[in-house]
Amino acid sequence: MERKKVIIVKDVYKTYHETKVPVKALRGVSIDIHQGEFTAIVGPSGSGKTTLLNLIGGLDRPTKGSIVVGDTDIATLSDNQLIDFRKEHIGFVFQSYNLIPVLTAKENVEFVMLLQKQPKAKRDARTAELMAAVGLADRMDNRPSELSGGQQQRVAVARALAPKPTFILADEPTANLDSKSTADLLDMMAKLNADEHITFVFSTHDQRVIDRARRIITIEDGKVLKDEWVQ
Amino acid sequence: MIAKIAWLNIWRSRTRSLVVISSIIIGIWSLVFLLAFMNGQVNNYISSIIENETSHIQIHTPQFKEDFEVDQLIPNADQLVAELGKSADIHAATGRILLNGMLSSSAAARGVMVKGIDLRLEQPVSHLQEKIISGQPIGSGRKNEIMLSQRMAEKLKVKLRSKVVLTFQNISSDITTAAFRVVGIYKTTSKRNDELYAFADIADLQRLAEMPQGSAHQIALLVNDFDATDTLAAEISNQHQLLKVETYKEISPDLELFNSQIKLNMIIMTTIFMLALIFGIINTMLMAVLERMKELGMLMAVGMNKLRVFFMVVLETLLIALIGAPIGMLLGYLTTQYLNETGIDLSTWSEALEEFGMANIIRPFVTADTFFIISIAVVITAVLASIYPAFKAIRLKPVQALRKI
Ligand SMILES: Nc1ncnc2c1ncn2[C@@H]1O[C@H](COP(=O)(O)OP(=O)(O)OP(=O)(O)O)[C@@H](O)[C@H]1O
Ligand SMILES: [Mg+2]
Repeated sequence: MERKKVIIVKDVYKTYHETKVPVKALRGVSIDIHQGEFTAIVGPSGSGKTTLLNLIGGLDRPTKGSIVVGDTDIATLSDNQLIDFRKEHIGFVFQSYNLIPVLTAKENVEFVMLLQKQPKAKRDARTAELMAAVGLADRMDNRPSELSGGQQQRVAVARALAPKPTFILADEPTANLDSKSTADLLDMMAKLNADEHITFVFSTHDQRVIDRARRIITIEDGKVLKDEWVQ
Repeated sequence: MIAKIAWLNIWRSRTRSLVVISSIIIGIWSLVFLLAFMNGQVNNYISSIIENETSHIQIHTPQFKEDFEVDQLIPNADQLVAELGKSADIHAATGRILLNGMLSSSAAARGVMVKGIDLRLEQPVSHLQEKIISGQPIGSGRKNEIMLSQRMAEKLKVKLRSKVVLTFQNISSDITTAAFRVVGIYKTTSKRNDELYAFADIADLQRLAEMPQGSAHQIALLVNDFDATDTLAAEISNQHQLLKVETYKEISPDLELFNSQIKLNMIIMTTIFMLALIFGIINTMLMAVLERMKELGMLMAVGMNKLRVFFMVVLETLLIALIGAPIGMLLGYLTTQYLNETGIDLSTWSEALEEFGMANIIRPFVTADTFFIISIAVVITAVLASIYPAFKAIRLKPVQALRKI
């Protein structure tokens, strides 16, 4: 069965001009991501993983090439439209600094829904559902500082899922976690992927994470080196 | 939710926030006190002029004010005084005879204006009795008693019970002399007035100057409601068209000028205080924004738009100011109230103050509009102070903010 394409990256180049010598971080990358994928982007440090995820997530703009998310070519969006687009369509999980430290886990998950002006009843129901899905139903009222690193990342996944995004982008979500927390987080993400067909795209160095992926895209020197499906 | 985040953010760097809040408290506290002190000083000055010189309203014949002619008398002034004194709007009324003349002792002679007064009516208007430093007030029933200021007594080298001779023109412009006995020595807060005025009984002056009984040059009034002075003066003027009715503002226009000068000073001082506060607030907020770069980057990444980020920083600043300002105003108010009751004794500098006709005890006070102006100034200050840090915050690019470890 051919699934719907949710991300189409076509011949994308990204050159950073912020340094004296321009850095060619991506040099002609083309990838299609389909609904329901559980995909790892791997490669050595400096290969361009973060750059690619930032471009797909609309946090930055490519130097050349096009990126279509859903049906939208994000190059056509203004900065402010891009912020709204991210709010509606893309869930982010970063390596760290994912949560607002002064708010509780529940409030963090609720936050984007509040920005979307969703009614309270709907927010409450969705928050409870997500906190249960990430296995933290009993930690609703804890602040991030009262949660372990793994628990914080799970709240971040719940937060990313809250507005029902088209897909979730996670840049090295397990880099700061121990093996047990890493396994737990991946179990949870895999379960959400299997049960609810949520699309995950994440970058990683970690072999244990790579082992769980169903598609592995390897980049090196800003180019796609390998693109393999795992059964 | 943004308001809640803003509020909670303030307490993340507790010490830093408390430092800036304290500086706001202290700044506003001292501002309130300073303004209250100025108010007290002005009030002192104005009430001393009203008490010693202008009253609230004065009535003369239209010509009197121009040349101080002895014959410019208000006929049946005593009846008018009695009538006005009965009015519910008028606190006190008294009639006076004013005679320019020469006062001489065996040692010296001085120009003088003798005010002929009815002590019983005069007391509530000018509180003369409280200013006597030795002897008694006039009006014991004996004839030709006079009260001199301490300065005048020194210049004439006379003491209590001494005799002085007053030379003046009577109503028919004949030069007349009369001997008076000094029964009281007084002292007001105005050196200038003390060098000029002496007080005698109105009946004595009427008799000596051959004026009709019950006549007066001047009727002085104190009103009950200070703010209604103008309307009341206009009313009296309407009823007595032949007389000239003037308010303290007309008699002493500099008082009004003084008042508007004070308002200007208040605005200037508030501005200076706010300028002093603004840099501290900018600095604090800038630190707060810069140390939260990653978090702000994350917020923008997940969909918080620039307007909301901007608003959050402005709100955070505003909240800091709004914690500090009311406490500062309350402390300022309490200090003012306390010092209003006890009074601030400035007698150390009294020499200089007397030149300006000011009393030694300053009672600071504040009015509601002072707090109103300060509140508005604080809000403006906070918003201005937040603009630069808020711009810093929204100029962040999420990618860059998140990249920096
Ligand atoms: N803002 C920037 N300015 C200049 N160069 C940059 C910038 N961001 C990234 N680069 C460079 O682009 C290249 C790709 O960086 P990127 O962060 O995408 O790599 P990565 O694969 O995510 O590495 P890591 O595994 O270490 O996270 C690197 O050489 C990096 O130094
Ligand atoms: Mg990276």
